[in-house]
Amino acid sequence: MLLNERRGKSLHRAGWAVLLAVLALGCGKQERVDPTAAPIADFVKRVDEYVALRNRLAEAIGPLDETKSQAEITLRAATLASNIKLERAQAKQGDLFTPEVATVFATLIHQEDSRRPDSVRETREDQQEELPDFIPQVNEIYPTTYPLATFPPRLLPLLPKLPEHVEYRIVQHYLILRDVEANLIVDFMPHAVPTAKTP
Amino acid sequence: MSALRRVLAGCLGVCWALPLAAQALELPRKPSSVRFAVIGDTGTGDQAEYAVGQQLALYRQKFPFTFTIMLGDNIYGSERPQDFDRKFTKPFKALLDAKVEFDAALGNHDDPNQRFYKPFNMGGNRYRTFKKGNVRFFVIDSNYLDPDQIKWLEQELQASGSDWKIPYFHHPLYTTAARGPEVELRSILEPLFVKYGVDVVFSGHEHVYERLKPQKGIQYFTAGGSAKLRSGDTRKGALTEQTFDTDRSFMLVEISGNELYFQAISRAGKTVDKGVIRRLAKNPVAKSATGANPPR
Repeated sequence: MLLNERRGKSLHRAGWAVLLAVLALGCGKQERVDPTAAPIADFVKRVDEYVALRNRLAEAIGPLDETKSQAEITLRAATLASNIKLERAQAKQGDLFTPEVATVFATLIHQEDSRRPDSVRETREDQQEELPDFIPQVNEIYPTTYPLATFPPRLLPLLPKLPEHVEYRIVQHYLILRDVEANLIVDFMPHAVPTAKTP
Repeated sequence: MSALRRVLAGCLGVCWALPLAAQALELPRKPSSVRFAVIGDTGTGDQAEYAVGQQLALYRQKFPFTFTIMLGDNIYGSERPQDFDRKFTKPFKALLDAKVEFDAALGNHDDPNQRFYKPFNMGGNRYRTFKKGNVRFFVIDSNYLDPDQIKWLEQELQASGSDWKIPYFHHPLYTTAARGPEVELRSILEPLFVKYGVDVVFSGHEHVYERLKPQKGIQYFTAGGSAKLRSGDTRKGALTEQTFDTDRSFMLVEISGNELYFQAISRAGKTVDKGVIRRLAKNPVAKSATGANPPR
């Protein structure tokens, strides 16, 4: 009887120990949750939705193969941009770069910037000097007379990978999401990038 | 009256003969060699670009190159159909008529949609590789060096065997010009170039001609002065082998076996640099460069 009682008590203690261990593990798991994961997953979902939309519109125009006719390339880009603008007439800044993911991106970009050697920082600032003052607008054509600054190759792998047809660009302190073929600004994020002008 | 006519005719003759007389070909024209021209930052549509196009056509009569690599900034400013006429097809009409192939890389002034423009032979790709004889070219988009492109480049370099390996792209990894080298790009590309035995690299962006001292066994050329010019922009220093920054320029290149001959030529047809790069057949990384330095 005593033996059974003792065995019962020790089983009881063991049960509590297991339960505490499970709880502790659970708490540990909660601590390890990446707070950036949800905003990034949401951003990826929004980008995918945009790409699905623009691909549907692009398919309606027909595939763009290599052509000798620049007029054909120009017409296709303009038609695609026009159709996207119509479909996204209500689109506004922050639809894809939501405030939540913008905070994550700004942190990533500033951290990367702080690791740059001075020589790299100077080259990047020189490139931005080639660009005139430019305030992007959603659904605006990226001005064809402006150069596209080289995107920092060490920063690209830190940002979520984009599907085909969209790309990141930096203009002054803006991070821009650009539809490559339509040459259209899909969304932008101000004060994303530290510059000499806007620290 | 007849004396005046003779004087006028004489003047015309001298004017006609000057550009022709300036053309001294310094390349050996060996049988079965790979022959090409190099131009960069051409797409202005101004008189200087047309003069370079004319000089290329004249040189081609002596050195029948079959293709031309373009180092980016192929079309500056607006990219309407009429801009492609004025900034590309008209200046290079003689070459296009002669079926010379153009192989373009994208510059920071180029709309990536240029990859669909058939005369640029990009096959709809921002980056690509192609082979001519024993030479493997890697056309890199230095504006947007994403992880996919880096992975592609490494795979292609690894697979390219013992061919001459020549990457070309817009932004220079080394330069003495005022805007300076692309240090960040260099930190990614150079280790791959060294690892896989790249021989020669061509870049534009800086509107000058430069041949730099080989860096880690690789010969770098800057040839971004084929229409735009940054006069006096280069600085003589430890990197410098030869520079030309007082007029527009282009290059002619001939590769035969393990020798690469080059000639840099001004808009007026004057040779501003020439030389030969030799590599050891069994060790593609080991190279030696010898360049004759004519007076500037």
